Parts: sequence; structure tokens; C-alpha cells
Amino acid sequence: MRQSESERTRRFDALFAAYSPDIVAYCGWRAPSASDAQDAVADVFLTAWRRLDQLPEGDAARVWLYATARRVIANQRRSSRRRVALQERLALEAPSRPQEPLSPNRKETLVHAALRGLGPRDREVLLLAEWEGLSPAQIAAVLGCLTVTARGRLHRARRRFQAVFEALLAREENAQPRREAAVRPRTTTQAS
Amino acid sequence: MNKSESFQALRRANPRVKDGFAQSVEAGADAVRAQIASAGDARAPKLRPRRSRLVGVSAAGASLAAAAAVTAFLTVGSPGGGGPGVESAVAAVQRAASLTAASAERSGTAVVRITHNSEVWAGTTVRWHGRDVRSHGLPRRPGRAGSELLVVDGMVYGVEDGRWVELGSPESIDPGSGTTPDEYLAAVREDIGGVTLRRIADSVSGLTTRRLDDGSTAYGGTVAAGLIARESGFKGGQPIRVFPFGYVAHDEAANPAAHLDAVITVGADGIVREIAVTWGTSASAWTYTVTYSRLGATSAPAAPANPRPFPDRSPAG
Repeated sequence: MRQSESERTRRFDALFAAYSPDIVAYCGWRAPSASDAQDAVADVFLTAWRRLDQLPEGDAARVWLYATARRVIANQRRSSRRRVALQERLALEAPSRPQEPLSPNRKETLVHAALRGLGPRDREVLLLAEWEGLSPAQIAAVLGCLTVTARGRLHRARRRFQAVFEALLAREENAQPRREAAVRPRTTTQAS
Repeated sequence: MNKSESFQALRRANPRVKDGFAQSVEAGADAVRAQIASAGDARAPKLRPRRSRLVGVSAAGASLAAAAAVTAFLTVGSPGGGGPGVESAVAAVQRAASLTAASAERSGTAVVRITHNSEVWAGTTVRWHGRDVRSHGLPRRPGRAGSELLVVDGMVYGVEDGRWVELGSPESIDPGSGTTPDEYLAAVREDIGGVTLRRIADSVSGLTTRRLDDGSTAYGGTVAAGLIARESGFKGGQPIRVFPFGYVAHDEAANPAAHLDAVITVGADGIVREIAVTWGTSASAWTYTVTYSRLGATSAPAAPANPRPFPDRSPAG
């Protein structure tokens, strides 16, 4: 049954108020740039507005928005592959910049490096769970696969993330003493 | 470093907890406004005004075509659209299964009915909200009270002599009977979680699609009884097959190889409304239906006021 205009507007407002932070966050880490993310958010909610009568209620609406955002970003990627390739190359170069001592921020850099070390499918399923807080059933609905498949992918992605992160961390911690030794002042060979 | 430390670091890196995230949301609202305005939609929604302008609006001019493409993409293969073939009907049922699973993750209501020659033979209404469940079984005999089972915050309550009684933890209630609270929930989640639907969709033969007046679509075909009444057991020394929610499959349905008629009704919103299975002859006609409603919107059951503690029936020590 078609909703009245005021009902549509009210529902859309409620939808936007409830879920725009989720979709902004998701597009933020999925889209290749901030402006692409904003365009994707706009596309998602425009699609939602046009298809409001068919949108499910409750949590399913949130999942529908994630699934739509995923498709919008896939379309963006297809249409701007060269630009994405450049950005991905720049992103991969980021870890080779000079490194600060290990700090919470440094750990965060390692998190991002570890995420880049995962395959795109692992990264996506992991972040849908850890950053977006989706359950395996909801992830399955977003990805269009069985819940049991999503659960399996998530399990593998978690294991791989942990392995990559720990390897990066160990390398970082091993590099620390050498860096400290290199900058220690020499006290035995002072010129007279 | 242990596992929790690496995942704590991952969670701390979530962009939502970073400075500037709220501004990104505001910027997203700006972009949505710009997009909808440029779409020239006279019915465009008036989003609530943001508090302050912090971030510029990205160019959205070229994205109308993309939005149209997304809309078209989403429309392809939607249930019942333009007389889809069997392949797209299977895909539509599977898509509905995924969407329904997500809707039912938090809460919902399932009404199970078995009829024999059009008379209600047995039934249960199950409402769930997270791990809390309330199940109300129809009376087995006229004049009797129906069975009541309630699980709230890890405590099971039953009705005895018209009063609520604390029965203990869910694990302690008739384990292996197929009717423990955990098994009810598992049955609900299996049906609603897409497993049953996918099993039916993957194995159904002669799948047909029928649009109903209310905008929903009925997908029908035949399916092996063993895929629906999957559990086996014994009753009175005889092997039986059991439907989800603990009901014995009679006549043809007891034969796993028999083909039963199954209809899955998917609402206009893409959510499964009902699974209906029919079998038998005009002299002995059976139906088994599970109807879902209020997925994601069923309120949590409340614990009963002043329940009696479970009477201690152990021998006096």
C-alpha cells in the first residue's frame, strides 16, 4: 500500500536520522575518497527515498541501506578504476613513511596497515562486523550470501587480521631497540 | 599480544569514534539535500536542518545517472516483476531469505499451525526478542488451557495451576525434546534465518510465481518431505519425522522422499510472510504453516509478577 506524502517524509526523516551515521561511516571506509563517500551517501538515500514504499521496517532497513551503499560504491569503483588504483598505490606507500615511537596512534597506523594487508573480501566482512556492528545474518544480507558463509568468512578474516597485525607489531617492536641505539649519545670518545 | 588486544586496537580505529565524524554526517546530509534537489523531485523530503555548516558539499551533479543505475540494478529480479522465470524466482526466494534473516535477527513473531481436514490440529505462537522467548501453545484438547513457556533474562517460567512458576535455566528444560526454549529459538532462527528457505528454493521443482492482490508474491512448487520435516525420532516405538517446533509429521509427510506442495509468500517489502506446506488426500488433508510478523519490531516479553518458586520435589534429606 502506498504511503501518503507526509508519512513518506516522516519515515524518510526517521530513516535518515537513525541510519545516516551508519551509512556515512560505512561509505567513509569503503569509498576511495571523502568526496566519493559523500556522493555515495547521497546516492544511497536518494535511492531509499525513491524506493521508500518497498523498504523493510526495523533493522532490515539498516541492512538494506548497507547493501545499497555497497552497490553504489561498487558502481563508483567501476567508473573510476584508474583513480582508485592511484589512491590504493598511495595508501600502500603510507607505511613506509618515517615512524614515530609506538603509541596508541602508532597502533592505529598498524591497524590500518594490517587492514591493507588483508584481501578486500576479508577486510569488508571484518569491518562490517567490528566497525559497523553487524551480526553474521546481517552481513549475509548485505553481501548476498548464506549466514553460514558469512560466519565462515568472518572467522577467517578475524584470524588473518590478527596474524597480520601481530606480525606488523612484532616487526615494529623489534625495530624499536635498534632505533634507540642509533640515537644514544656517545660518551666515551669526547674530543679533548 | 592476545586476541582481544588486537581487536581492541581495531575497534579503537573505528572512524565513528574519531573527531570530525559528526561533521562528516552533517556533510553527508548536505550531499543528500543537494542530490535530491538536483533530482528535481517535487516530493523531496525536508531533512532536519543541521546545526552548523562545517564541511562543504561535494559535487553531486553527475551522480543522478549513478543513482538511476543503482535503482535499475535493485529492480532487476525483484519478486514477481514482469513474470520472472524459474531461475529468477529461486533467486528472489533466496534474496528474501537473506533479508528476512536480517529482519528477524533481533525479534519477531512466528505463528505455527497444523490443520487436518481444515480443522486446527495443533499450533504455537512464538515471540522472541534477543534470547527472550514467549511461546503459547494451543490447547491439545477443548476446554484445556494452552501451554505457556516464557524465557526472560535466562530464567524459564511455566504455568502450573494457573500461576507462573520459575522453572530454572533454559538448558534444564526437557533437553533433547525438540521443545526446549533454545530449540524453539533454533527452529525459529533456522526457518527465519534462511536455511529452510534456501533448502526449499534449491530443491523445489515446478516453481511457479503468483502475484497476490496485496502486492506480495507466492512462490510455489513441490519439495521432498525430508527437507522440511528433517528431524527423526521415535514415538510409541515407531520412527517418526518431526517438523520444526516439535510437531510430528503425519501420513505422506512422514516419508522423507514424498513430494509435498510448498508455497513461500514474500511481501512487497521482500520479507517472507509465510511458509505453507500441504499434503494428503481429500479424505485426509494436512497443512503446516509458519507465518512471520513484526520482524524486528516485536517487543520483549516481560517477566511475570510474583512467580512461584519451583516446588522442590526431591526426596526430603
